[in-house]
Amino acid sequence: MNFFNVIRWLAWKDLLSEMRSRENISSMFFFAFIVILIFSFSFSMDQKTAQELMPGIMWVAFIFTGIIGLGKSFTAELQNDCLENLQMNPIPRGAIYLGKLVSNLLFMLVVEVILFPLFVIFFNLDIFEKIPLIMLILIAGTLGVSAVGTLFSAMTVQIRAREVMLPILLLPLIVPVIIGAVEATGGVLQGESVLLYRPWIELLIIFDVIFTIVSFWVFEFILDY
Amino acid sequence: MPAIQGIQLSKSYRHYQVLRNVSFEVAPGECYALFGPNGAGKTTLLKVLATLQKPSSGRFEMMGYDGIQDRNQVRGVLMMIAHGSYLYSELDAVENLRFAAGLRSLSPTAREIKLALDRVGIGAFADFKIRYFSEGMKKRLSIAKAILIRPKVLLMDEPYSSLDERGIAMMNHFIRESLEQGAAVLMTSHNRVQSAEVAGKAGVLHQGVLREIAVKDLVAPHELF
Repeated sequence: MNFFNVIRWLAWKDLLSEMRSRENISSMFFFAFIVILIFSFSFSMDQKTAQELMPGIMWVAFIFTGIIGLGKSFTAELQNDCLENLQMNPIPRGAIYLGKLVSNLLFMLVVEVILFPLFVIFFNLDIFEKIPLIMLILIAGTLGVSAVGTLFSAMTVQIRAREVMLPILLLPLIVPVIIGAVEATGGVLQGESVLLYRPWIELLIIFDVIFTIVSFWVFEFILDY
Repeated sequence: MPAIQGIQLSKSYRHYQVLRNVSFEVAPGECYALFGPNGAGKTTLLKVLATLQKPSSGRFEMMGYDGIQDRNQVRGVLMMIAHGSYLYSELDAVENLRFAAGLRSLSPTAREIKLALDRVGIGAFADFKIRYFSEGMKKRLSIAKAILIRPKVLLMDEPYSSLDERGIAMMNHFIRESLEQGAAVLMTSHNRVQSAEVAGKAGVLHQGVLREIAVKDLVAPHELF
């Protein structure tokens, strides 16, 4: 039971800290908001072009926004040597990973849920009946980014050039998530048959499962000697 | 059976040897005070014992558990009070205590938490965020954490630093009480007189070599190293 308790306590601590400081979510939100503004004013698009371009722009904004949040996930633990304390506690390393994954996933999803309507407004899209599918793709894509990002955030936290190293390590590995999420979102927005974009959603789910399990297992060796 | 037993412990950082074949024993209910100049390796020794760093050679046992093979069991019996307070700035004192206890599957009642905070003299600041705490208050909160967790082995890195006179007296009272309850305490210090009040054993770590000294030498007016 301690395993699930640790996940709960870590997620509780991260969420409560974030609710009070709003450091992560506000910087993530403003970054993504600026990306939306820049892209929406840079191109003059009809609705068809917007449907084609929006998935790519949206996921680029979400992923770079996510990297900002993921980068802070473990650096926050460096304050007052809290990371040492986590390492010294008799708790499964995998539970630390999952606790951090839960909070990172929630931070990213909150920002995405706030930003998505802005994308719809700025790109003038009609997507009301497609929301459940879009939500599924958002969750699957964000879980993939968070699963790998949480691992790399822990791996890079002790090195000096961590702000640079995290995207350098993370982006190549999440290429399947980016392609899958963009293709699936594009398919939904353009009203394609489910059969055409279902393989992309399946790719996202398979990526999530594999990389969550692998990261969970590898984490044991990262936070311990 | 000694509570802590270091056997020929050595630790090197690249070509610099910090600890050289350090051997010592601390019995349950005994306090070992460790002295030495800055950079002598005192904190490194504590970090090795706290399972944060792997010794380059040698081994140690804590409550009968092997310090390297049985790291998780060792972590279950120890607690460290160090320079870093291991506290989260955005959480208040009570929340920090609940979090620390929660990671060890403990669920102290509100009354137990209040008593612990009152005992260390910061009961009036129970709902203050840690970011507003002074270093001395953070040290007191770390003691409150130890009161709730009641570890069998306490590792303390300069426990008197940042504390005022009352705080130092309270720290010694807490150490004596822990010893009465059978805990073993290993502390590093620069405060010879205060340490002599609680120490049953003392040693000087100089250039990585540990030399045991008599406790009465702590209050003698000659230099230790």
